[in-house]
Parts: sequence; structure tokens; C-alpha cells
Amino acid sequence: MIPRRLGEVSRAPLELVLALRYLKSGRKDSFVTFLSAVAGGGIAVGVFALMLSLAALAGFQSALREEILVRTPEIEVEVPDRGAAAAIRDRLLSMPEVRSAQITSQGAGWIAYRGSIRPVSILGYEGTVPVIFPGAEGRPNGLYVTDSLAHTWNLEPGEVVEVASSRPTLTPLGPQPRVVRLAVTDSFLSGITEQRDRIALPLSAAEGLFGYSDYRVLVETGDLDTALAVATRLRSDDHAVRVSTWQDLNRALFFALRLEKAMMFLAVLLIVLVAALALVSDIHLIIASKRKEIGILGAMGATRRTILRTFVVLGAALGLVGVSVGASVGASLAWVLGRYQLLRLPASIYFLDHVPFKLEFGDVFLVLVTAFTISALAAGLGARAAANLRPLEALRR
Amino acid sequence: MTVSVVARGLFKAYRDGERRIEVLRGVDLIVDPGDLVAVVGQSGTGKSTLLHLLGALDRPDSGSIVIGGADLSAMKAEELATFRNQAIGFVFQFQELLADFTALENIMIPGRIAGLRGPTLRSKAEQLLVEVGLTDRSGHFPSQLSGGEQQRVALCRALLLEPPLLLADEPTGNLDPEIGEQVFELLVSLQKRRGTTALVVTHNQDIARRCGRVLTLHKGVLHES
Repeated sequence: MIPRRLGEVSRAPLELVLALRYLKSGRKDSFVTFLSAVAGGGIAVGVFALMLSLAALAGFQSALREEILVRTPEIEVEVPDRGAAAAIRDRLLSMPEVRSAQITSQGAGWIAYRGSIRPVSILGYEGTVPVIFPGAEGRPNGLYVTDSLAHTWNLEPGEVVEVASSRPTLTPLGPQPRVVRLAVTDSFLSGITEQRDRIALPLSAAEGLFGYSDYRVLVETGDLDTALAVATRLRSDDHAVRVSTWQDLNRALFFALRLEKAMMFLAVLLIVLVAALALVSDIHLIIASKRKEIGILGAMGATRRTILRTFVVLGAALGLVGVSVGASVGASLAWVLGRYQLLRLPASIYFLDHVPFKLEFGDVFLVLVTAFTISALAAGLGARAAANLRPLEALRR
Repeated sequence: MTVSVVARGLFKAYRDGERRIEVLRGVDLIVDPGDLVAVVGQSGTGKSTLLHLLGALDRPDSGSIVIGGADLSAMKAEELATFRNQAIGFVFQFQELLADFTALENIMIPGRIAGLRGPTLRSKAEQLLVEVGLTDRSGHFPSQLSGGEQQRVALCRALLLEPPLLLADEPTGNLDPEIGEQVFELLVSLQKRRGTTALVVTHNQDIARRCGRVLTLHKGVLHES
């Protein structure tokens, strides 16, 4: 149903009036109706598929980012020695936006318990457990292992394990492993995306394992954007230190996620492109059925531009209907599937027990604008046939 | 407002496969402002072609057309479109109304093309319907009107913008004699009232005789009858 004012000849823009009337009268022609339905429906299906696939991808990516970022420091500052680390830490703690700054020492090694041995990433820390060890963050200083390791080895708090460094000590008898024996304080939540088990232990123990080098200060602000701003300030204040943000530490992953989304967008957009071709055919068919009327309009003085605009509006209106229907249905379904978690996944295989759907404003906007632009361009392509008709030529047929 | 029409040495030929058909072979024509002129001739002699050239719907192969001082050959396509809208009113043999628009809306379309809108345009169109006695048919679509009614609507549409030149191509050719008579009477009365210069192409000798001047197109040349 077309709103009355939109179709009123004495008021509404002429091109709009003509386009809406032609669309309305086209419904009487079964071929035009069929092609219009194919074109509009195709665009709707394309937009629907885009909305749904991008929402699913955004949901997965968001969950994945969360999973990774919770185990990544917001800022990591590499410093040459303990003195420099303390100075940087104190400076950071004087910044109002910094919640915590901790000196750490990192390296690789092995953890051994009752004859079992496993390679681990080792992080020595001062103060309480850093936030990158979810489930144990803020707990007192001590040795923390992943819950999966604790479960596999049946480790209980208080049990003693051996931690060996990958850096041996050179002695007259040859290289000797550096080993410390520590009692397990507790465990933290292991992440499904982690390639290797991590352990957190007191900084003094780490210094014993790796020597007094490779210090890093871990910084938390509580907000990812604030962290980026603090990192920028740090870089400009002190060129000697190497500052890495959560973005730098996951650059390859974020790039891959963006690329994946872009490729998915382009692949699904092909549906809209095919539908746009149907739209061009549909407009040609409408032009053929309105050929004489185009001639009459030309005889009355309608310019080439008026005729072109009329059929662009007509095609764009069809595209708009397709885009609106596809977007509404796609967005609604994505919301329902996300809200009620209707698509279940085996949690043992994936790190989630359902397919997450997340509608992002940027995605929705991009889909709407791209699909509508393609429709309008297709309409323009079709409309040229009408604009190129000479009035007399059109009247003669 | 009224205009003179001056055409000099109009030539127009068409190609039909290998054959070249010369339709107009040097047509000269002068119509004084406000005159009603009939152009008669047998079918296929080029009457409609002449009308299309004078109506800026087509260009001659050679020759010039000047309407009210405006040289059509010097105008670009967009300018010709504007000229058709502002200066020429067309009435065709088969009415040629827009099927998706009511009688009143059909009349308003040239006004919309000219950029007019709103109640002024509407009342002007309604006034024309009153003049041709079709007030009660304003909301009807062309398919709901008789041939005579459609032609009266087409006449109103042609005169909406009060063009100084009215071109009618067999305006009664598709109507019953009685209805055709009524439509022609109406055309003449509206033309006289407005002082519009008018050219009527017809093969109806009765109608031609009632025009102030009759020209015969024979073998591509125009003769005074």
C-alpha cells in the first residue's frame, strides 16, 4: 500500500509519482510481477543472508576476542632490568587511569609432578595474581597452575611440584638445569585458545629460573581504549622502552578476523549482485511495457533526466523493499537466535555451547548501504534504456 | 500569448532497408499568430512527419523551423524538451493518455514537468475540465472514459500551460463522426478563446474546411488549397 501523499500528482516529486504508479500498474502484468518478485526477493534473501552471517561471525569473533583478551595484558612494557622496571611501574601507578602495574619476568620451562612432565609458559609476578589469570586474579602471591593441569594430575593446593627453566646454568661440570620446588597455591581457568599451559609463580622464583633479565611491566586500566591512550603516552615519554598493547600482541589474529569477515561479506554479497541483475531485467521489462507512455511524457516535455530519474526511483524502490524486508527478517532472526541461544553446539568441541549472534551497528549499516547502493546502480543501468529512448521513437511503437 | 510558425525548405527522408523514402521535399510554411490551419493530404504523404518536425519531436534533414522567434535547429535535446513543454500542446489521434493516471492527473502532468505543483495547478486543471464538461469524470482512469472523453481530456492536457502553439494530429480520426464533431468544436472554441496558433492535421475535408486556412501536402511539398 502506497501512502496517499506520496502518490499525489499535484504535490509529490513527479519522478516518485510516476515510479510508484508504474510499480503499482506492473502488478497487473504477471511477467513484471514475477520478475519484480525475483529481483526484490533476491535482494531480500541476500540482505537476510548477510545480516545473519555477519551477526553469527561477529558473535563468534566477539566471544573469541573476549576469550583471548582476558588472557592478554592491556599493556606490556619491556624493560632491560629490575631498576628500570620499578621506575616505570611507579610512574605508571602515578597515572590516575592506571589500575595496576606489576613487574613480571617471563620465560619457558617445564613443570614436573610424580614423574609426569609438561612444557609450560612461566610468568613470575610481584604482588597479587595478575588479571590475565582468570579465576585467580587478585589472589595472594604463590604458584597457580591451569585447572586442566590440576585436573589431569589431580593436583591439590599444597602439593609440591618442580618447575624447571629452559635456561640452564653453566657449571664446570656442564650445563645444569635450574629447578625450583614450589607448593601449588591454587588453579586458574585455562583457555581453549591457549596453545601451551601457563603457570604463574612468585617473581623471586622466576628470577631464580631465568636470572635477572627479561623484565616486563604488565599494566591494567580496565578499559581497552584507555590502555591504548596510556601506551601512546608511554611511547612518547620514553623512547627506550618497548611498549606493546593488547592490539600489538594480537595483531595477526585481529587481522585474520577482519579478513575473514570481509571475505564472508563479499561472498554473501554475490547473492545481492545476482538479484541486481534480475532488477535490471525487471526494469527493462517495465520500460518495454511503458514505452508509449515514455514517448508521451517526452512529447509533453519530460527531459531525459526526468525519465532516467523515474526509472532509477522505480528500481531503487524495489531495491529498498528488498533491503528492508531482508534486513528486518535477518535482524529479527539474528536477535531471536542470539537472545534465546536456539542453535546449540557441542561445548566439548567448541568453546561455546551455542552459536552466538551479535548485531553490530557498523555491520548493519554497511549491509544496508551496500545493498541499497547496488540496487540503485542496477536501477540506473536499467533506467538508461528509458532515458535513451527518443520520444518519437517511443510513440511510434 | 500567440506565435508565428515559419518553416523553410524542410527535407526529411527515411530509410526502409535499402530504399530511401523522401517524405518531405522542401516544405515552406508560414503561419501567422493566432491562425487555425489545416494540413490535409492522403495517408503516407508526411502530414504527421511535418507535425513532428514542427513539434520539436524530430529534426529535419535540412531546412529550418522558427517558432515565435525561436530557431529549433539551434536547440539541444534538453532545450527542445523544455520548449515542447512550454510552447507546444500536442493532441494525438489515439488520445495517448497515461493509463495509470486519472483524467485530472493526466491534465496536471505537463504542469508538473514544468515545475508547477500544489493547489494552483490542481485548480487550473479542474477549470479546464469544467470548460470541456468533464467535471464528473475527473477521477476516472482513461480505460473508464469513452474515446470522445479521452480526447477532451487530451485537449485539456495540451492547453494546461496555455502554449502559444497547438498541434493536433488527426484529433477526430479515431472518433465517431458526431463525437468527432463535438471534439473539434471544442478545440476551435478553446483555440479562439486563447488566441492559440494551431495546426490540425486531418484527412477529414469537412473539418479542414472549417479551419481558416487549408494546406495540402502532396508528394512532399505543401500547397495552399
